[in-house]
Amino acid sequence: MTFLQVGAAVLMGTLVGLDLASVPQAMYSRPLVAGLLGGLAVGNPIPGLTVGALLELFAMDVLPVGASRYPDWGPGAVAVGALAGAHPDGMLASGLLGLVLVAVVAAWTGGWLTHLVRRANAASVESLRVALEAGEMGAVRAVQRLGLLRDTVRSFALTSLTMAVGDLLSTLFAREWPGPQRIAQVALAATSIGVALHGGVRLTGRGRQALWFAGGLGAGAVTVTAWLR
Amino acid sequence: MPGFARVLARLFTIQAAWNYERMQGIGFGHAAEPALRALPGGAGGERYRGALARQSRFFNAHPYFAGLAVGAAVRAELDGEAPEKIARLREALCGPLGSLGDRLFWASWLPVCASIGIVLVAFGVRAWAALAFLVLYNAAHLACRVWALRAGWRHGMQVVAALSAPPLKASVRLATPLAGMAVGAALPIAFGWQLRGALPGTMVAAGAGAVVFAVVLRLAGGRTSGVTLAAALLGATWILGVLWR
Repeated sequence: MTFLQVGAAVLMGTLVGLDLASVPQAMYSRPLVAGLLGGLAVGNPIPGLTVGALLELFAMDVLPVGASRYPDWGPGAVAVGALAGAHPDGMLASGLLGLVLVAVVAAWTGGWLTHLVRRANAASVESLRVALEAGEMGAVRAVQRLGLLRDTVRSFALTSLTMAVGDLLSTLFAREWPGPQRIAQVALAATSIGVALHGGVRLTGRGRQALWFAGGLGAGAVTVTAWLR
Repeated sequence: MPGFARVLARLFTIQAAWNYERMQGIGFGHAAEPALRALPGGAGGERYRGALARQSRFFNAHPYFAGLAVGAAVRAELDGEAPEKIARLREALCGPLGSLGDRLFWASWLPVCASIGIVLVAFGVRAWAALAFLVLYNAAHLACRVWALRAGWRHGMQVVAALSAPPLKASVRLATPLAGMAVGAALPIAFGWQLRGALPGTMVAAGAGAVVFAVVLRLAGGRTSGVTLAAALLGATWILGVLWR
């Protein structure tokens, strides 16, 4: 990867990290899009899209609801999308497993960093309380800008760190893996589909709504059987 | 509404200063500010400052529907409603707008669009899959933001009437079945996509593994999350692969 490509990926990861909550919540922070953007940054979008689609299944488990702490998939997906795209000969399942593992840990770390940013924002509100209560627009603007700045730093750091760690580990995973590739393939499919299955069950709950989920599973199973034949 | 375009643009940053004390409150005040300049006395006047201080206090709702509250609160301020009534209006809207947005977007439209995107990737549509996801998702997202701000401004203190609009009620009824169906259909297709060309034994092992994984997560309840458990299992697989002889 050239310096320019790394810079492009980090820039994209930073913008994607801002999309999660700060601005504009247009969902380009979803792994499906973020992975593709990472691949685009290195001029090879399809491997990025592939790893992004895989991560999208993991992301179906926790939705960004209300004030809960949720994983931030975007910057990690951009980073691993770029790393997947930078692989000249494509990736073995073990290499893909390494990237997914890194992205999963990055998503968790991103959620934790968001929590820290929100605590720091509360401290800004506290320090400007008098001005805010006096209705000073300067104070409102200052808290907004500080919040945006903190989230930018968070997203930048998360993307950079994920790229550095991911580069190291994916190389290691691809080389130091004497085990059969199908073990990695089974682990990836089982965890990604298992997490999304859990998310789907939780989405519909029990009772009549679950029948729609079951119906969808049936329709999908028929489609995939016909397709694989 | 005075400064409609500016208010709408600032609503996209309503969560920029999200914090555990006022939650979206600062973003709310920041978004409402261009319209508050139309208050008697103008920007910096006494009524403007009082209104800005009120609108920057605690608020939390779904970001796409927050415009409804911003529009209504701004209208109430310009109509000269009592400050206590405006504060009560903002408080009363938090729950319904949060719940409505969570149901319609986070728990329905987002999984529907993501499922469509995954299915398109599986069927080889490549980069167009991500574009289709973005266009489909944001058509509803942007329409909701514009509608919310307009409806809030139009209804003012009677904004709750906007929430009982027939299209909104119909969307709520359809949301969960649609999401369930879409996610359900996407999973076997995503499974087939990941394991195309694999041996039958590999497919059986992965399918059984997925079901066991989902059951373990379900049984664990709130004690663990899919992310944590997935990281543990993928890490353990890597160690197994490295130690393989």
